[in-house]
Amino acid sequence: MTTARFNELIHAPTRLAIVSLLAAAQWADFKYIRDELGLSDSVLSKQLSTLESAGYVEIRKRFVGKRPRTSASLTTAGRQAFQQHAAALQRIIARSQQDAHAGPAAEAARGALGR
Amino acid sequence: MSNMQQPQPAGTGATGAEAAAELAQIQRRQGQVIKAALVPVWYWWAMAAAMVAIGAARDSHDLVVLAITIPLAVLVIAGLIAMTIPGVRRRVRVHSATIPGARAAPAIFGLILLVIAVTSATAASLAAAGVPYPITIGSAAGAAVLVIAGPLVNRYLRRLMLSQARQQLDDTPEAGGSTP
Repeated sequence: MTTARFNELIHAPTRLAIVSLLAAAQWADFKYIRDELGLSDSVLSKQLSTLESAGYVEIRKRFVGKRPRTSASLTTAGRQAFQQHAAALQRIIARSQQDAHAGPAAEAARGALGR
Repeated sequence: MSNMQQPQPAGTGATGAEAAAELAQIQRRQGQVIKAALVPVWYWWAMAAAMVAIGAARDSHDLVVLAITIPLAVLVIAGLIAMTIPGVRRRVRVHSATIPGARAAPAIFGLILLVIAVTSATAASLAAAGVPYPITIGSAAGAAVLVIAGPLVNRYLRRLMLSQARQQLDDTPEAGGSTP
C-alpha cells in the first residue's frame, strides 16, 4: 500500500525525468542520465544536488582506473516519495475520469429538476 | 481504491491531463532503462557470425584456419555472453524488482536449445546425405534461428520487465498528503 502524496519537488519536469529514470534503476552513471535525458552537465549536477539535499538521491564518486566516475541512485526515502507521487498522479487521473463521467449525469439531473 | 472519494491533497496543481502526461513520462523513462539493460540487435548478428565462422573453420579442415578462427570466434562469443552479466554493464543497472528472473529463464534456455537442435540436426542430416560443408550450413541454419528468435526473446523480456516496473507503480493509494 502506497500513500498518495503529490510531491512538488519531483513534479518539476527535469527532476521528474531524473527520478523516473533512477526509479527503474539500482544506480545509473552521471553520463548515462545526462545522455538519456539530453541535459547539460551543469543542469544535471544542479538538479541532482537539489534531490540529494532533499535526501532523495545518493551520489557516489569512485575511480575506475584513473578516471573518476559518478553515479546516482534513489535513496529509500526517494523511492518512497516517487511511489507516493506516482500514486497521487493515478489518483488525480481517476478523479478527473470520475468528474468526466459525473458531469453529464449531474447536468441531466439539474435539467430534470428545472423542468 | 478506497480513497478515491477523499479530497485531493493540498499543493496538487496538476490536472488530469497533466497527471496522465507525467505518468506517461515515468513509463517512458522506465522503458529507457530496461532497453539499456537488454542486449542490442547487433548482439544477435555478432553471435550468429561467430557461430558460422566456427562451422566454416571446422569444414575447412585446415589447421591454420582452425587455429585462428576458433579461438577468435570463441573470444567473441565469450565477450558477448559477458555483456549479459549485470555487473559488466557499467552505465546503468536495472532495479532488481524489474528483473523477471524465473519467468525469463524458459525463454532464454528455450532459445539456446532451439539453436543447438537446429544446428546439430541440420549438420547431421546433411553429413549423412553426403552434402558438402554440412557444419557450415548447419551453423548458418542455427545462426538464422538466432537472429530471428533472439530479438523476439528480447521483446518478450522487455514486456515482462515493463509489466513488473508498472506493477510497482500500480500500488493501491491510501490517504492523501501534501508536498514535504
